[in-house]
Amino acid sequence: MSMQTGLSFEQAPPFAQPLRFFLTAPLFLLAAAGLIMLAPAALASRWTLPALALTHALTLGFLAMAMLGALLQMLPVVAGAALPASRGVARFTHFFLAAGTVVLMTGFLGADARALTAAMFLLGCGFAVFLAATAIGLRRAVASATVTGMRLAVISLGLTLLLGMALASMRTGGWTPAKDEIFIAAHVVFGLLGWVLLLVIGVAYQVVPMFQITPPYPPRLMRWLAGTILALLLLHAIAPLLPAATEITLVAESGLAAGVLVFALVTLRLQSRRRRKLPDVTLDFWRVGMASLIASAAVWLLARLWPAWAGSDAYPLLLGVLFIGGFAVSVVCGMLYKIVPFLAWFHLQAQLQARAGSIPTMKDMIAERGKRWQFRLHLGTCMLLIAVPFWPKLLAVPAGTGLALSAVLLEFNLLSAVRRFSRYGGRFS
Amino acid sequence: MATPADEIRVDARWLEPPEPMEQVLHALALLQPGQHIRLLLHREPFPLYSILDSRGYRHDTAPQTDGSYVILISPAQDEPPAA
Repeated sequence: MSMQTGLSFEQAPPFAQPLRFFLTAPLFLLAAAGLIMLAPAALASRWTLPALALTHALTLGFLAMAMLGALLQMLPVVAGAALPASRGVARFTHFFLAAGTVVLMTGFLGADARALTAAMFLLGCGFAVFLAATAIGLRRAVASATVTGMRLAVISLGLTLLLGMALASMRTGGWTPAKDEIFIAAHVVFGLLGWVLLLVIGVAYQVVPMFQITPPYPPRLMRWLAGTILALLLLHAIAPLLPAATEITLVAESGLAAGVLVFALVTLRLQSRRRRKLPDVTLDFWRVGMASLIASAAVWLLARLWPAWAGSDAYPLLLGVLFIGGFAVSVVCGMLYKIVPFLAWFHLQAQLQARAGSIPTMKDMIAERGKRWQFRLHLGTCMLLIAVPFWPKLLAVPAGTGLALSAVLLEFNLLSAVRRFSRYGGRFS
Repeated sequence: MATPADEIRVDARWLEPPEPMEQVLHALALLQPGQHIRLLLHREPFPLYSILDSRGYRHDTAPQTDGSYVILISPAQDEPPAA
């Protein structure tokens, strides 16, 4: 199916397949909140062990969990790319990702080499199965800018995984390269600007015009942006090995910052030109996400102009809070509020061949008030988290509490759609 | 434009998915023998077609000069309505 032909639902997997990912993700957001409250060192420096556990609770437990679930759903529907053995792949990946993330967090917190080794095995297996199935599915996919974004994101996920395994084997004493910071930088950058950003970009091309009723993204942007970003990521990763490393790194980072800014500004501009100006919580999550991307680029620029800031503990933490919490978590929350109610409604009408009026509409699946409150809690938590790197002792507990409440309300809201689905006789598999 | 008695008009232009589909399913439930649905939409509703097929309805899609679509929907056993 191309962008023009829209969505193909005969290909949709059973509800249980993506749902188990979507309902697990908020639990890791809750775990991240617990870490912020109980181990304030998590937001005092990026190099502390609690900081590493916190980062992976958010990136693997929340973001990757929700994003893999969404890809399993979207690949067949948006890209016409049926996955081989999709039921088995979904079950296997979900279990190994959840278990691997818990064991990895334990390994970091306890500086436990055996747990890190086990996490490498679990996450390696989980992602390997997912990547293999997705690679086969994406080969069958009909070309579109969204499919290109997904392909490049999945390539970045594979690179992030390999680099992460290399880093974990350094921690367990497997080997010690001369310059481990090259591996760390590449792992972080491929994970965040490759896997997370490229997937959001690819998905945005489809969902922003379709669900927010905006004009389409400019065709030239759709053709070039994702590929350019991946090329810059590769350049950034190999820059330290090249002569004039500092200059090349700066060029690559400037290009990436420009790409981030272009995507965020074009998206905000399209959203301001939407056809129906009705309040929509997903739109608000996207806007917070795009504003956070712009703020990330500004914080990066400030560090180039002011070296003392670049060398501070607060700088990488603030960048991480803005990109992971402000951008990625916001967009994923907003998308969950579309995907889960949509699937609940879609499967219900398909299973029951329902006459209209006999089942809830998509909008009835989750109460507007609950979503709105969770958005407010999320926004307040983001504000607090931005300040935590500067006053970790004072603000860690309030920020962690805000995140915990936000995570619980997110799970409650998603479960309310599931309860409605099941009350009307929906079948999950 | 006046709506003839044998027609249910659904203007779902610029509504967020799946509202257009919800409105069509609602209209199908109200459809009397001999009636058809005239659906106005801002994009072509591919997912709707397979649902209409499976429930025994025919559809006839006409792209409009303004980029929108008019889709006439009637029971498969009826004569197609005149566009």
